[in-house]
Amino acid sequence: MKLELGYIYINDIKFSDLSKVENGTLYVNKEEIEAMILEDENVKSVKVEIAKPGESIRITPVKDVIEPRVKVEGPGGIFPGIISKVETVGMGKTNVLKGSAVVTTGKIVGFQEGIIDMAGVGAEYTPFSKLNNLVLACEPVDGIEAHEHEKSVRMAGLKTSTYLGKLAKDIKPDEVETFETLSIVDSIKKYPELPKVAYVQMLQSQGLLHDTYVYGVDAKRTLSTLINPTELMDGAIISGNCVSACDKNTTYHHLNNPVVHDLFEKHGKEINFVGIIITNENVYLADKERSSNWTAKLAEQIGLDGVIISQEGFGNPDTDLIMNCKKIEEKGIKTVIITDEYAGRDGASQSLADADEKADAVVTGGNANELIELKPMDKIIGDIMPVNTIAGGFDGSLKEDGSIVVELQAITGATNELGFNKLTAKEY
Amino acid sequence: MDIVIITNNKKVYEMFKDKYLVEYEDITYKEILIKVRNKVHEGHEVLTHPLASSVKPNETPFKSIIISKKKGKLNYNSLMVIENSIATYEKFLKLKVEWTDAVLDDFRTIDLTMIKSALSKN
Repeated sequence: MKLELGYIYINDIKFSDLSKVENGTLYVNKEEIEAMILEDENVKSVKVEIAKPGESIRITPVKDVIEPRVKVEGPGGIFPGIISKVETVGMGKTNVLKGSAVVTTGKIVGFQEGIIDMAGVGAEYTPFSKLNNLVLACEPVDGIEAHEHEKSVRMAGLKTSTYLGKLAKDIKPDEVETFETLSIVDSIKKYPELPKVAYVQMLQSQGLLHDTYVYGVDAKRTLSTLINPTELMDGAIISGNCVSACDKNTTYHHLNNPVVHDLFEKHGKEINFVGIIITNENVYLADKERSSNWTAKLAEQIGLDGVIISQEGFGNPDTDLIMNCKKIEEKGIKTVIITDEYAGRDGASQSLADADEKADAVVTGGNANELIELKPMDKIIGDIMPVNTIAGGFDGSLKEDGSIVVELQAITGATNELGFNKLTAKEY
Repeated sequence: MDIVIITNNKKVYEMFKDKYLVEYEDITYKEILIKVRNKVHEGHEVLTHPLASSVKPNETPFKSIIISKKKGKLNYNSLMVIENSIATYEKFLKLKVEWTDAVLDDFRTIDLTMIKSALSKN
């Protein structure tokens, strides 16, 4: 399976009468976007705004971040099973509006959603401050249930991203990157000397505001399964997850999974990257047992030598993480786990809610309990009031001058468990 | 079904009281964990993970945990899971936050949907 990603670099975004991409600028017709989002009868109103790197803007509460992409050649379309038909994706050519994103904001529940600062200290902790963002602030109709609200905001983001992506369909990319995976048998023939490594990606799947979708299927209703790395790049996995801003994987993360990119980089040199096993994080302990059994069984069936496991979220998923790690190690396969830490504000407490001595190779995305003070911004997109109650915020977080003291966990993507951030810790 | 729901969440009680055995008490999150630990010592099995996902135990006051109705020998896995969860709970700073009624209601909803999604599969 071979996919060419064509990057069209975007370094500015502007409103305009006509939506188009020209000389690195993304022009957006605001009215068209608004009309498209208002087709959903659950949306009462929507505000479409622009947020560029370096501007004194705070976006909160952030729900999802999505990178606009479009299928240029090959089967299917972006976000299969949700926006496009359920055709298998990951082949042919896809164009990417690199440097731009759609950010959705909306107060779905009164707590726990993220902050993106486009300038200042906070901007250093989130990768999305570096992008030219089109921000959608959706207001639902009165009396709507939280899960319907979540769905409306999720779909508004995906539709808008698809709309912007289509502007790039006939544009010649500035740069092309090619990714290819062979069948497992061919891959082993080609690189007989190299260790066979796969990536086990854990997907948050615990119910309302905690869901992830694979080809449109709610991940909690799936068994652990195999997926091609390039399928992710065409939007096979999308986020329906609102909670835990610092360590949830947004749709942007899924499209640009750094574990996948790094494994491709080492592929054919240090390792043989044979594919991805996706697995879920459910509530029932029996489900956790079943899913981790299947992950370990698949790892053994493929004949792996090593796996990288990434987690999403914190708390009871720590149990899934350790089960996956332990059971795969018991098959004689080496593991490295990627997680983040809730080690207290001084970093001295135990970092995870579960542990095992087999989990002896750990990469961390940082300590989510660390405190940070964010200076006031000139403009707020969304609603600042939830900050007192946001995860990592505490009473009195929001000061009179508009600055806020929060734990890092309030910042979108700050301690990302795919490593899509700058924080880590080192100890050997 | 052969389960008991231990909860301090009224929404869970209201939704499931006619269908399952629901033990509702107006107690704290920690007291729910302790109650479940006592049940484990009596020989019940823990069926859903006692920690929420990503909603931190020092934020939400509400917790529902499903255990087996049947009592057997002490289940060591269950004991480990509940003891670990209590240890994790202790680790979090106790925030002094007075939630608004709307936020409290959101926390009830999140807890309810976790239980709902667990039950819909079984």
